Amino acid sequence: MRVKVAVFWGCCILASQYAYEMSVREVLPKLGVELVDLREALCCGDPVRSVNDFAANYLSARVLALANLTGLPNLLVPCNRCHFTISEAKRAVERDEKVREKIVGMLKEEGLEYNPNIKVWHVIDLLHDCVGLKSVGKAVVKPLKGLKLASHVGCQIIRYSDLGRVDDAENPRKMDELIRATDAESVDYNEKLDCCGSHLMLSHPDTALSLAGGKVKAVQGLCVDGLVVSCPDCGLMFDSKQKEAGTTVGAKLNLPVLYLTQLLGLALNIEQEKLGLQLNQSPVDQLLSKVSA
Amino acid sequence: MGLTDLMSMAKPNLESREKILRKLRGRELINCFQCIKCTSGCTALKLLELKPHEIEKLVNFGFVDELAASDIIWTCVTCLKCVQRCPQKASPYHVIVALRNLAVEREAKVPEAFMKAVSQILETGLAEAYQKVTTRKMEVCDRESLKLPKIPAPKEGFQAVFLKALEER
Repeated sequence: MRVKVAVFWGCCILASQYAYEMSVREVLPKLGVELVDLREALCCGDPVRSVNDFAANYLSARVLALANLTGLPNLLVPCNRCHFTISEAKRAVERDEKVREKIVGMLKEEGLEYNPNIKVWHVIDLLHDCVGLKSVGKAVVKPLKGLKLASHVGCQIIRYSDLGRVDDAENPRKMDELIRATDAESVDYNEKLDCCGSHLMLSHPDTALSLAGGKVKAVQGLCVDGLVVSCPDCGLMFDSKQKEAGTTVGAKLNLPVLYLTQLLGLALNIEQEKLGLQLNQSPVDQLLSKVSA
Repeated sequence: MGLTDLMSMAKPNLESREKILRKLRGRELINCFQCIKCTSGCTALKLLELKPHEIEKLVNFGFVDELAASDIIWTCVTCLKCVQRCPQKASPYHVIVALRNLAVEREAKVPEAFMKAVSQILETGLAEAYQKVTTRKMEVCDRESLKLPKIPAPKEGFQAVFLKALEER
């Protein structure tokens, strides 16, 4: 199967979580998904939502209008937060005539056209539902047998169900199934649905870090080889800020954290450099030595 | 200010309440029957004492001005568990967002980072600045050295339209 999709990265991936971007750009084409960048880099509107709901919807609608310029009916949004913000805006534009009129008019001023029929995908459902577990499994050339992993799917990609999310809100399975497609083991654990806290970095950074630290500490206690994430915010909190998070909860944290696409890349035998694995700040070397052994 | 202090001199204001209900566009805040499912699952409860059911009740009683001036509305982690689990579709998350918008309108004390993000977007289109990162071996990298493509900032007309969008209430 080959499919061509437009891709919207958001801010966090483009500005700092390069490992996620690199691994998505490497892995997806190998699974038959061709990526087309949008014309411009733009914020989805998430931090603006708290300031002005309308302006947030405008930014999200503008993202969809930029996607419309590519002529492709599918848009990949690898960030949980962007995926949620765009989905909420889509609904507001759909349901509220006044909002729709205003936003469509504003986009017109820039020569842009809103297209309500663009389908928004995340890496999880694109791989699980569109590419399919079978195709992912078939593409695996280096099974990751023996790896025991915990998955963290994040909050905004599974909640709230009424909005149409990629997986079940209380019992998400798709990410675990993708992990298992590489022959690795994915464990269930009590803290699976706990939040990484990243939104609080804007107002209460210490609390944000202790939320992240608490979860990493709990996962570390499971004696797993690593934690798999699929959102740049979660990656930022659990990987880039793991050391700081450890200090706030008074624990020595050394849990390898990597992106789902990095894990899949390893199973597809893509070079580690190309997957950005040198950029992870958590001690992924432990996990990598187990993979190459 | 803390909500407890604000509530000691509180007065219900039905006009402000109306304003919030309008912002919620039909989300049935009035149906909240205080089952406390939202608060019992709230990520921000344990560390920051956010109690979404209390916010629902206070809005219903008209104590909107007090809420909009309080710190408590800025403690939500936006994990959306309350929206998911509310049996009445009263959606505390959306109430909190509406209260935050009102706080900004009234120029109440808003965490700086939010306003910073807005001005950053005006300037560059993104809410964050491009960062240099280091590998575990302490080599400094950026998009260019990692061979990631350059994606241009929004075209010129964007700024004016975004400013106009920010004027909307």
